[in-house]
Parts: sequence; C-alpha cells; structure tokens
Amino acid sequence: MNEQDQAFRHPLYDMVEGVARFPGVDVAFTTADKVLTWSQRNSLWVFPMATSCCGIEFMAASSSRFDLDRIGTIPRATPRHCDVMIIAGTITVKMAPRVKKLWDQMPEPKWAIAMGSCAISGDFYRDIYSVVPGVDTFMPVDVYVPGCPPNPDGLLEGLRRLQDKIRRKRAGEWVEPDRRPPPGMRAPSIPRIGDPARSPRIDDAQLDSVMHLDPGGALRRSGAPPLPPVPPAEEEG
Amino acid sequence: MPPRHEPLPADVAAWACEFLGVDELPPEGPFVPRDRLVEFATALKNDHDFLFFVYCAATHYLAEGEPGSDGALPDRTVVAYRVRRLPDRRRGRPTQTFPFRVVVPTGESTPSLAGVWVGADWQEREQLDLVGTVFQGHPDPRRVMMPDDWPGHPLRRDYAIDTAHFPWR
Repeated sequence: MNEQDQAFRHPLYDMVEGVARFPGVDVAFTTADKVLTWSQRNSLWVFPMATSCCGIEFMAASSSRFDLDRIGTIPRATPRHCDVMIIAGTITVKMAPRVKKLWDQMPEPKWAIAMGSCAISGDFYRDIYSVVPGVDTFMPVDVYVPGCPPNPDGLLEGLRRLQDKIRRKRAGEWVEPDRRPPPGMRAPSIPRIGDPARSPRIDDAQLDSVMHLDPGGALRRSGAPPLPPVPPAEEEG
Repeated sequence: MPPRHEPLPADVAAWACEFLGVDELPPEGPFVPRDRLVEFATALKNDHDFLFFVYCAATHYLAEGEPGSDGALPDRTVVAYRVRRLPDRRRGRPTQTFPFRVVVPTGESTPSLAGVWVGADWQEREQLDLVGTVFQGHPDPRRVMMPDDWPGHPLRRDYAIDTAHFPWR
C-alpha cells in the first residue's frame, strides 16, 4: 500500500494483511481470524437487561435519533441470540439470580456492559436492604458506562470501547481490564425546609404546594387557613 | 396543622357510626374491631356500592418511644384500608372513597378481606411480606416482593437494616 492508501482509513483497513496487484484486479489478503473478529465486533447483538431508568436511555439510544443499528447493535429479546448483556438499572437481591441465569444462557463468546451507577455499584441504593451493590459482585463485567443515567452518547462510547477491546484482545494485545470507576461525586447536602441557605419564599411556596396540594394557590385565596410557621433549622454536627 | 382529608360520604358515615356505636368518625377513618371487620367490609360492598378496593397499607408502631404515644398501647400494626365507589348519576353522587383502619397487636392476626374484594389479595400479600401482618384466611399467603428465603420483614421498625443475606449482605 502506498501512503495515499494508508491515509484513507477504511473500516476494513486494519484487517487487510496485504494487497497483491495483478493486471486488471487487486486482491486483498487477510486471515480468517481477523475476518471473524471484524464481523463479531460489528454485529454485537445486545440483550437489554433493563430494569429501570437506564433502560429508557437504552431505548433512546436504540431508536432512530441515535440508532444503535448502524453499528450492528441490535436488541434481541432472548439471551440465546445475544453477544452482549447490557445491565441497565438497579439489580435487587431477588433479581440477581435471574440476571445470572440469563447471563449463563448466553452463548460464548459473550460480554457484559454495566450501564449506569446502579449496575456499577448500587449507587445511592447500595445501603438499602434489597439492592445488590454492583453487578460485578456476581458476574463478570467488561465495560463500565458511568452516569446516572448515562446518555445515549455514553452508551455508544461504551459499545465503541467494547469493540476496541474485542479487536485488541483478538489481535493478541494486552488490554487493561476495565475497573469500577471511582466515585467522582459526593452525596449532596440537601437543603431542607427552614434551612437558612434557602429563601423563605421558596419554603412557603413548597409548604403550600405540599400541605395543601394547591400549587396554583386558588385554595389559599379562597380563605383557607394560613400556613404553619417555618420550623427552625436543625442543628447538625 | 393536620393534613386535609376528603370529607367522608355522609350516608356511609351515618351508617358506620351506628354500626360501630360511636358519635363521630375521624377523617382518617374509623377503627373497626377485628372480629367485626368482615361483616363491616361486606356491608360496605353490598349495601353501599364500594366495589373497588383502593389499597391497604400496614404500619408498624413500637410500644415505646413513639412520638405522641401515651405508652399504654402495645407493639402493634395499624392496617389502613380505603375503598371507592364509582359516581352514580341517578343519585347525583360523585366518586367517593371511604377509609377505615384496624389495629393488630403484634403476634395476633386480622381477618383477610380477599374474600370480599379480590383486589385485596396481592395488597395483603405485600403487607405480609414487608410488615409481617398476618391475614387470617388469606387464600395465598406467600411473599410477593422479597425473596422467599428473606429473613424478617423489612419495613418493621425493629428490622435491623444490616440483616445478613448471603452472598450480598
């Protein structure tokens, strides 16, 4: 190949081992292994293990605006057709054996993507009695897609990373295993009603809407009793 | 200021006062004795057209340390029910709901209303699962939310949040 050919990075470029030029025809040579890898990573059929809001983002990613089909990623409704399981959502202790069973039903080779904070670590549900603190406690995970929920771009990026991982592994390169992302955020301190950092007008409006179920204020204007006084801020150590 | 409640339907309130032998009903719903609960519910359904079971929700209360408690009440579960009837144009009546409550001391049971309203079946299973209220005569008293081998009832006040559940907890 000359330099001009190399500059044009055709999708098939990295699988071509060599080109022989004969009069009237150019023949490209490659190995069966590279063809298999190429076709495998460009037809990742996914099993959407969508249990909560990350599933909505997955639906958005697979519908026409983001269109997962164009990279060969087609959702299938049975694990026996699938190569990738996308765990999108909170996995509870009752759901975890079912997830494991579906994962075991998928044929090799198979990969798993943990999508969203809940699947990665349980996130803010991890201290709840019934939530599994991360799906990697009971099954292997190849790619972590952080976010709460990750937007479709994030999921596409995760699938691209998975494709890259498949290509490099089959080429015999060392791939650093994906690790659970470190928590990059702290739990926010939620300003409560009566907090001095909040405007008392907002407190009033919120109490009004919550206690009277009267957001428009029609009930108040009609002569309903006045609001209770704002409770003093709680002292916290 | 207490929260507002929908006023009780007048005809049912008058009947319930007579049934329970009280002068006035609290807006959160009267307390019905457990031995007359099925009779009360059957009359509500058959005589007053409350065909729709909205919810039943059990709450566990500890005997001591509860705010506002006089300390005399034992460790107990309060089951709150609400039923609904559809609007009746002939009688000029909008859709109305009627709440009532039952106190179940811990260790005792309350009659199941699944024989009166079919909709009470899974609702009572949920209370059995999460709060541990025993409904006597329930057709299918299994857990509905937690795994079958789960120890304890998670929404009880005395449930330890770090109860071990192999292999995740």
